[in-house]
Amino acid sequence: MKFLFALIKYDYLQRTRSYTFLITLCASLAIAYTFVPAPDANYSTMRIGDYIGEYNSAWFGYVTAIMTSVFLSLVGFYLVSSSIKSDGITKVGQIVATTGISNFKYLLIKSLTNFMVLLTLMSIIFLMSIALFLLYNDGFDLKLISFIKPYLVIALPSLFFISILAVVFEVIFRKYTVLQNVLFFFCFASLLVFRPKTEVQYGLDVFGSKIITDHLEETVKEIKSLDDATGLTIGYVLGTQNASKKFTFTGFDFPSSFLFSRLLLIGVSIALIWVVALFFHRFDYKSIANVKGTKKITGQLNPLKDLNISSLPQIATNYSIAPMIKMELLMLFRKGKRWLWIVNFIGMLLLVMLPLKVSHQIVLPILWFLQVHRLSDLAIKENLHNMHYFVFSSQAPLKRLLGSQLISAIVLMLIVASPLFVRYAFMGEIAQVLAIVIGGLFLVLLSAIMGLISKGKKLFEVVFFLVTYANINTIPFVDYFGGINASTKTSIILGILIFLISLATLMLRKRQLVQL
Amino acid sequence: MTLEIQNVSKRYQKDNFGLKNFSITIEKGILGLLGPNGAGKSTLLKMIATVSKPSEGLICLNKNNIVKDPNYIRQQLGFLPQDFGVYPNLNAFEFLTYMAAMKGVGGTNLKKRIYQLLEGLNLIDTAKKPIGSYSGGMKQRVGIAQALLNDPRVVIFDEPTVGLDPEERVRFRNLISDLANDCIIILSSHIVSDIDTIADKVAVMKTGTLLAHDNPESLVNQVQGKVYSITISKEQLPKFKTDYLVVSTARKNQQLEVRYLADQPIANATLKEANLEDAYLYLTKTKS
Repeated sequence: MKFLFALIKYDYLQRTRSYTFLITLCASLAIAYTFVPAPDANYSTMRIGDYIGEYNSAWFGYVTAIMTSVFLSLVGFYLVSSSIKSDGITKVGQIVATTGISNFKYLLIKSLTNFMVLLTLMSIIFLMSIALFLLYNDGFDLKLISFIKPYLVIALPSLFFISILAVVFEVIFRKYTVLQNVLFFFCFASLLVFRPKTEVQYGLDVFGSKIITDHLEETVKEIKSLDDATGLTIGYVLGTQNASKKFTFTGFDFPSSFLFSRLLLIGVSIALIWVVALFFHRFDYKSIANVKGTKKITGQLNPLKDLNISSLPQIATNYSIAPMIKMELLMLFRKGKRWLWIVNFIGMLLLVMLPLKVSHQIVLPILWFLQVHRLSDLAIKENLHNMHYFVFSSQAPLKRLLGSQLISAIVLMLIVASPLFVRYAFMGEIAQVLAIVIGGLFLVLLSAIMGLISKGKKLFEVVFFLVTYANINTIPFVDYFGGINASTKTSIILGILIFLISLATLMLRKRQLVQL
Repeated sequence: MTLEIQNVSKRYQKDNFGLKNFSITIEKGILGLLGPNGAGKSTLLKMIATVSKPSEGLICLNKNNIVKDPNYIRQQLGFLPQDFGVYPNLNAFEFLTYMAAMKGVGGTNLKKRIYQLLEGLNLIDTAKKPIGSYSGGMKQRVGIAQALLNDPRVVIFDEPTVGLDPEERVRFRNLISDLANDCIIILSSHIVSDIDTIADKVAVMKTGTLLAHDNPESLVNQVQGKVYSITISKEQLPKFKTDYLVVSTARKNQQLEVRYLADQPIANATLKEANLEDAYLYLTKTKS
């Protein structure tokens, strides 16, 4: 048992001492700050019809716990996934495989470390919610139990489940990260829309939030006789706060069956680990490769020949960026599984066939999001593949390399969006065409700068996911591609933003070259 | 063709130097760079290759300051780093085409040159397979190919023989000798035998400073008459090591034949012909 704690501790330290974790921590703090809007803020995060709760301890505790449970489950999965993959990359996995540790114990350690990482973020959000309660003091007393109880019952088991799910997905889908991410998104969306009808069904709600939100709805209905049509809204809704009426929420006594279901979730999660441990590859990549058909070249290598360097054909100087763009495009197109291109083509067909509004507002952001694995390492792939010494010692890497990477990615984004683009062009909707071009440009630059800042892919992947999710839900201030409203004002703002990001990207890349 | 490194330092923290006040002038031919781990060999090579900037000092190629104008050397540089990766989805041919584009070379002969390089490095049969499926030795060959792609005038090989078997090492040495006629070649290695037969000059480094820079014969002369061999028992070895600088030991009929360095012989010791390995150990163990 003692060695388990030691392994979890050092795995935890290794992961929390990363730059990505620091950025996620700051982002979590910033987002936690918005969970309960300031009294004069012009948005709401949880409301029932026109009603929000009075700013007492219970409202703060339960709202932030629900938001944490949902938000951290979504973001947290992407943050903690790939922990086994990184052990494979660092070759620590192969060393672990030679030790006596069982598959179950190894996977449990990975899951528990995932949980510790998410728990750290949850604790920060918890403290932030108390700080906000004190800051927005509405004359109510601080009741710690009203904060602790919802976090313990709602958020904690959800995060435990997500920590384990990340490991389970990694074991099942192995190196298919895109598949893991897409499938998780569908699981998440399905769980989110799940509406329990009976008390027993509340136990199936992984996020543990429905029992509270239904209670809140009932409370408001009882007070004000509201019907279902003006029910609960969770999420960032703009321009509604000032019109809010207040009701008093004093907390909730969880039924024992629900408490049992939360404990059961933890138990089932551990059982899941035990099941997938039977299929864990234990870093035997050769057998995985054989199964998947990507074989390593084996056998004895033919010896070097007597190569006469001086007799090699002379080559000419060519500083054109065109060959580099061609090669960067080739790498972008070849990245990921081939079947993803079938999905891309279906998406492009939908851009042609579906009504313009649906194509632009729903299909385009999803289609662009499907390129996330191509964009996320755009400006950092030389570091991730340990190619930086080659490329940074070649001709004018600052402008030629970065330029070719950005141009090729923009070309990719525009090719993917081309059916919609052409439709608008034929209709003479130049503003829409411009909005799509700007959107593609913005995404590419966002991926470059986020990669350079975080030195990893995850920050962009999570942000891109959240932005796409928000766009599909028609939240206006993240509309980067004119899906909701392609106004000149938005284009100008995005243009300025693109200019600033370009400058920052250039500076960061320059710094990267100097700091090697 | 002259590469001058003048008072170059690489400072990581206040008193932590990767390289300290290092000066050397490198002429056409092969310079073998020797030194223990942490000597600063890779740090020096990275600065010459312009992937790292010196904290102080000048690096000039043919009087051109490459710290200020790195593209001057990049046009004529071939660099094989100690630890490098590849883009796994590209095949060897595509990878070399990509590297050619990065290096700013092209023209009608490019394909032919890549083909001949792959042919010479015996990678032509697997040239159309993704590099991700290559073994370590094959990747090392791809690394060598990219270093020779742009007809370089300055070639930097950092531990190039890693992953190559003994026969390949010999062929690699031949390849370098052929290249050395009108180029500067800097070859860093832990394996003294990789260097002593082909290097025109040898530089020995330790803790970021230059201990010696001379031709191999002159370095060997410094220890000529100081290398002895003696047969002792295993039990005597620990004490012997504290008294003398042991170069190597070999088992011989339950006893040990010890090659060591000393100013004066001891009883039963035989004087041996000195080699570069003796000189290297002498310099790195006795000088600071």
